[in-house]
Amino acid sequence: MRYLSIAMSKGRLTDAAVEMLEKIGIDCSEYKAGSRKLIFTDESNRIRFFLVKPADVPTYVEYGAADMGIVGKDTLLEEGRHLYEVLDLGFAACKMVVAGPEELAGKLDSLNNKRVATKYPRIAREYFEHKRRESIEVIKLSGSVELAPLVGLAEVIVDLVETGRTLKENGLVVLDTIADISARLVVNRVSAKMESERINRIVEGLRKQLENRHEAEKGR
Amino acid sequence: MSKWKIYTPDGVQDILCDDCYQKRELEHRLRTLFRSYGFKEVEPPAIEFYDVFASEGSGIMQENMFKFFDQQGRILVLRPDITVPVARITATKFRDAVYPLRFSYIGNVYRYNEYGGGKQNEFTQAGVEIFGVNTPESDAEVISIAIQALKTSGLENFQIDIGQVEFFNGLMEETGLSEEEVSQIRMLIYRKDTVGLGEFLKRTSISDDLKHLIFDLPRFFGSSDVIEKARSYNLNDKSKAALDNISQILEILDDYGHSQYISVDLGMLRDLTYDTGVIFRGFTYGVGFPILAGSRYDRLAGEFGMDCPATGFTLGVNLVMMALQRQRIPAEKPVTDTFVHYHREGRTAAFELCSVLRKQGLAVELDVSNMTVREAVRYAAEKNIGGVISILDDDNVEIHYVQTGETVRVKISELLKR
Repeated sequence: MRYLSIAMSKGRLTDAAVEMLEKIGIDCSEYKAGSRKLIFTDESNRIRFFLVKPADVPTYVEYGAADMGIVGKDTLLEEGRHLYEVLDLGFAACKMVVAGPEELAGKLDSLNNKRVATKYPRIAREYFEHKRRESIEVIKLSGSVELAPLVGLAEVIVDLVETGRTLKENGLVVLDTIADISARLVVNRVSAKMESERINRIVEGLRKQLENRHEAEKGR
Repeated sequence: MSKWKIYTPDGVQDILCDDCYQKRELEHRLRTLFRSYGFKEVEPPAIEFYDVFASEGSGIMQENMFKFFDQQGRILVLRPDITVPVARITATKFRDAVYPLRFSYIGNVYRYNEYGGGKQNEFTQAGVEIFGVNTPESDAEVISIAIQALKTSGLENFQIDIGQVEFFNGLMEETGLSEEEVSQIRMLIYRKDTVGLGEFLKRTSISDDLKHLIFDLPRFFGSSDVIEKARSYNLNDKSKAALDNISQILEILDDYGHSQYISVDLGMLRDLTYDTGVIFRGFTYGVGFPILAGSRYDRLAGEFGMDCPATGFTLGVNLVMMALQRQRIPAEKPVTDTFVHYHREGRTAAFELCSVLRKQGLAVELDVSNMTVREAVRYAAEKNIGGVISILDDDNVEIHYVQTGETVRVKISELLKR
């Protein structure tokens, strides 16, 4: 039988994803052993998984180098790839927001030239150009985006916010929420057809697990 | 300084010897197949006016087209698609023809950032179109040819998924959503984004029954049971007609003996296209993209001034080749059968011999670099040429078999008798 391959985001999503996969009977012991290998295998289920940079997961899945992937919605929105998004895995929840100095609250429209600092140029453009129908100038940064409005590099930022603490400590407020973000299960368009049986088994397994967790939380 | 002299631009590539041979073979088989169904091949120009593709329905975004200007400043494009020019040809040059018309084409198309063909900006499409009929028989024939095309290319494991856009359109009529909202839902279902779809539906005021069906749409794929499942819902006439249409097409394909390749996907949609009825795609192992796509498109010819129903498909030749290679399906390679070596005195005899052998269908390479016999044999071995014929005089030759190292002397007259 052909190996089914799963591309996983390296970093904050990995452990939670591995835990979910183990619960549906996928053997991740090779990964947990702390090996430096790039590809881990579960021989009994004929599943292979590999860890890649989050931003690369959609690429692997789109090209079919991986049949499935686990990746944040932020990355999916930014990459805009052709793939199937089949399940919200719930973990790593946060929000994609527009933030800026407090005096801009409710006055975003009044700014003539908007310079937007962000790690997510595509999401920023999509939001301002399609939702708000406004032209913007995107300033692409790779980190500490909150700094940009403070030093006059940009008027506003588009970034991920988990607790809002960093924003607050730097005197910034959320001006608008663009999207709710969490980890998602994605599937290659061809694999979804050619391997539908095996993939559906995994999807349904994870879906049940999520439902059970949901029930348990409600019962509490 | 000519800085880019030795490079090829992004998204284009040289297709060399073995690959090129395999590609031409594949194109030849496809062309033969299309002809055997009575299709007439057409070749639209590689350069067209931008206006030909400018309408929303063409499904090709402005930013994905290669654009430039002609001498009068009009906008030109390298054709991003061949179906649209074929519709232009039909509507403008075959108005008074006897319909239906069957057209086929094989040619290169050009798109920026095309994700098919492994991010190539130039790739080859082969396809057929039938104009002038709106019958399930015509749709089924086109799907049948698509299946034959994949089989004749050497693929064995592949799948054709069939959907019907009118089913979705019928559902949308019932929801009363705005055009903008419908296009959002279309996008969500197209991406099988069940998460986004759920969130979107929660905000709308559609009836629960319908909401449930729309939410489930991305999962409406598999065997023909899917159609029965869909029928159990309360549908309007448009959606019902769409299901009847698919059923009819499946029935015809069953008579063709193609059922094993077919599956149904009612959630199959495209983002922005001219589709008006059945829609289908082909998949196989080893390529993460659909290798062929087709649909009924009854409104496209109307864009060029003549209403005319149509159906057709296009196959990505480069994608099929990629699939063949990834699935390790053996491909024929170009071979040179014989190397002919001669001296001044044997020249006329050498030319004659080559000519006769070539007429017999052999590939014969003639020595043009004045080699010695030993050099010729070494050269042939290096190039995987089966044997060297060295011309001794007008009547006699020496044959060197490269693999065995054997040498035989024979008369030319005898050699030609073999």
